[in-house]
Amino acid sequence: MKTIMLVCVAGMSTSLLVSKMQKAAEEQGIEANIFARSAQEIEFALEQNDVDVLLLGPQVRYMRKQIEEELKGKNIPIEAINMQDYGMMNGQKVLEQALQIIASK
Amino acid sequence: MTIDTNQYYELSFQIISNVGMAKSLAMEALYAAKEGNFEVVEEKLSESKKFYVEGHKMHASLIQKEASGEKLDFSLMLMHAEDQLMNVDTITLLVTEMIEMYKRFK
Repeated sequence: MKTIMLVCVAGMSTSLLVSKMQKAAEEQGIEANIFARSAQEIEFALEQNDVDVLLLGPQVRYMRKQIEEELKGKNIPIEAINMQDYGMMNGQKVLEQALQIIASK
Repeated sequence: MTIDTNQYYELSFQIISNVGMAKSLAMEALYAAKEGNFEVVEEKLSESKKFYVEGHKMHASLIQKEASGEKLDFSLMLMHAEDQLMNVDTITLLVTEMIEMYKRFK
């Protein structure tokens, strides 16, 4: 089971991307737990979940350094979502991105 | 032709994605200014502006539709996109001023 966490401002727009990613995962028979949280909820969400990769929406990309500090020593890779894929709500592409990062961890 | 929910979502997401990039780049410009890296500041700001203009264009196309008499349905997702659009406007304005301050403190 792969756990993928997406982060954006309110966790609202990104939840739509989450459902697209879940659908893509289901279609390919990939077992994945995908969810979206706001930047403020990261710490709490990490306590509750064993996260494999953390993906940032374009609107919180600038927080990367700060979040990296929070994740220090946790071995959770963090990457920005490609803005084109985000804009097109391309669940398949973002899922691929996440799985690639996990694979090269 | 009226816009259906799917098209609304697509447009909203593209606005959010573009203005989101604009916001991140503006903040990255400010961080660069903090480090005294003013060449990077200019690059980030001009890139930020490009994304903002793209997002703004998409939003303007909707406003024009409504202004020309087309009836558009309400969408919370679009409102969320507008929220972020406005936010970026304010952030960019203030970031630009703050960068000027960093330049003077150099």
